[in-house]
Amino acid sequence: MAEQAEFKCLRCGAEFLLPYTPGVTEERTCPSCSSNSVRRKKDK
Amino acid sequence: MAYSEIENVTGYVGSFTVTVRKKARYVDVGECTACGDCEDVCPVTSPDEFEIGLSTRKAIYQPFPQAVPSAYVLNIDECLGNNPIACGKCLEACDKECINYDDEDELIDFEVGTIIVCVGMDVYDPTALDEFGYTRYENVITSMEFERLINSGGPTEGHLVKLTDGTQPKTVAFIQCVGSRDESRGNPYCSNFCCMNTVKDCLLIKDHYPDIDIKVFYIDIRAFGKGFEDLFQRSKDAGTVYIRGIPGEIEEDPDTGGLRLYVENTTDGGVERHDVDMVVLSIGAIPRRDSDVIQRLLTLQRSQDGFFLEAHPKLKPVDAATQGVFFAGCAESPKDIKDSVTQASAAVARANRLMMQGKVSVEAITSTVIPELCKSCGLCVKVCPYHAISCDTKAKAPAVVVEAACSGCGACSAECPFGAIVMKHFTDGQIEAQIDALLEHDAHDKVLAFACNWCSYSGGDLAGTNRFQYPANVRLIRTMCSGRVDKKFVLRAFAMGAPIVLVSGCHFTDCHYINAVRWTQRRVEKLWDELEKKGIRPERLQLEWISAAEGQRFATVMRAVEDLRRKVTAKEIEHTRKVLADVLAPVEV
Repeated sequence: MAEQAEFKCLRCGAEFLLPYTPGVTEERTCPSCSSNSVRRKKDK
Repeated sequence: MAYSEIENVTGYVGSFTVTVRKKARYVDVGECTACGDCEDVCPVTSPDEFEIGLSTRKAIYQPFPQAVPSAYVLNIDECLGNNPIACGKCLEACDKECINYDDEDELIDFEVGTIIVCVGMDVYDPTALDEFGYTRYENVITSMEFERLINSGGPTEGHLVKLTDGTQPKTVAFIQCVGSRDESRGNPYCSNFCCMNTVKDCLLIKDHYPDIDIKVFYIDIRAFGKGFEDLFQRSKDAGTVYIRGIPGEIEEDPDTGGLRLYVENTTDGGVERHDVDMVVLSIGAIPRRDSDVIQRLLTLQRSQDGFFLEAHPKLKPVDAATQGVFFAGCAESPKDIKDSVTQASAAVARANRLMMQGKVSVEAITSTVIPELCKSCGLCVKVCPYHAISCDTKAKAPAVVVEAACSGCGACSAECPFGAIVMKHFTDGQIEAQIDALLEHDAHDKVLAFACNWCSYSGGDLAGTNRFQYPANVRLIRTMCSGRVDKKFVLRAFAMGAPIVLVSGCHFTDCHYINAVRWTQRRVEKLWDELEKKGIRPERLQLEWISAAEGQRFATVMRAVEDLRRKVTAKEIEHTRKVLADVLAPVEV
């Protein structure tokens, strides 16, 4: 099973988990507002 | 060329170089008369791949009776003659002396102008569907195995027999959609030909063995082609019973090898039990397992189901996105013989049209390198979806664009950190001049959107023609691909006072330039980080994928970004202007 990472929607602010493979670029969609402005939250 | 594999492909439309590995056969094709003397004396026995393991072959064999050329081939990995304890019986038996253990693979280069990809398909392996007992019960076979059994050239010479005892079955059941139309345990798509293949098989059985009872378990029968409905009716008239429902379980009687199927008949909701002698699993098609190799060699796209993706589903259904490459048959999607022949004819015609012209017309919108500015970093080579750029980074030679292979996405130009690549008709200067003009007055009231020519911009057109309402303060800048949107364009827009910048392109599977859209996403993700570091909210840079058919979505996105724009304060804009002041440079057109 693919690894999951935490993402944040830059349109509506929703935070959610999505499959994530380092180095692989995939089309991602916010489950709340369908925006593609989805940014992976990085560990600080 | 039989018994050969593609090793490498270089070049571009009109000038491909294809390297083919002609595998060693260890038999002289010119001399071999396929007499079979070598096969008779060969002591090695292996499962016959062509008969799907239903019979055996020798280490030296003819792959199948109609194989071209009609000559034997030696599997050197199985041959004892290649082992320390030498056998060499075939060598002794061959009067023509055409066996050579020292034969070697040969690499042959071909210069070709166009390439037709017709690599076919593989079939679904139903072993994972435990309820059907495939591989546990001998009398449960796949439709491919059934084809060999019923074939007069097959292992039983066309006699339909049970694999347990070699007797003729009295009842045969077909189960449809095995591994197809099942997202959780198979493939979500319909394999197109299985229904009619089963109908054909039922007619064949009834023709040869009228007394055999046949039951077909199905979800729905898709008899959509010319004459298909008639064939379906004929099979029903011949006595085939069609039952709507897929068995949930198969049990075997260990003594007789008989099979018991439990199924919910969805026409009346009742659970039924059927006793049969043989079950044929109608398995679906899957993309060839080695599709990755061809995809890499020819820079092809694949759809979500794994089959090769055509350049356009309606207007270019046999063309690949890579110029000069065409598809035929199941390489592109599962299809029956008639559709495969039709597509193959179309692919040949498309290829011929190019070849007959003798020259290739290329797009006027292509990239060119300014050698003086090029630092030979090779970034452009990495991002080019068409492998149209070459660069000798070790020799520090400037990159070279092959214009015949360039499709004009502009990803190279956007990625080049030295401004060494010029995208004709979409130069940096031209795009920057548009940004400046659009944001010259009342920048704080506007949303600046970069839209790709093929999808987002067309989505905007559709929104317009359908009269979908969206804010009038959106200003669009068209680029051929969202991959052309350079980081400096976005920063320039912010420096000019844009409250919100939107980058929009095609959905990943629709990208007109193979995978250039992926570079857009990577670039925007990096920009979000950069903006954050500069104290600018990353939310002000929006990214959206909008297809040409999504006029409604275009309008929705524009309304959403307008809502975001209203939340951007004058103070924020002013701060951004100050932070990015050095970005603004004189525009060169």
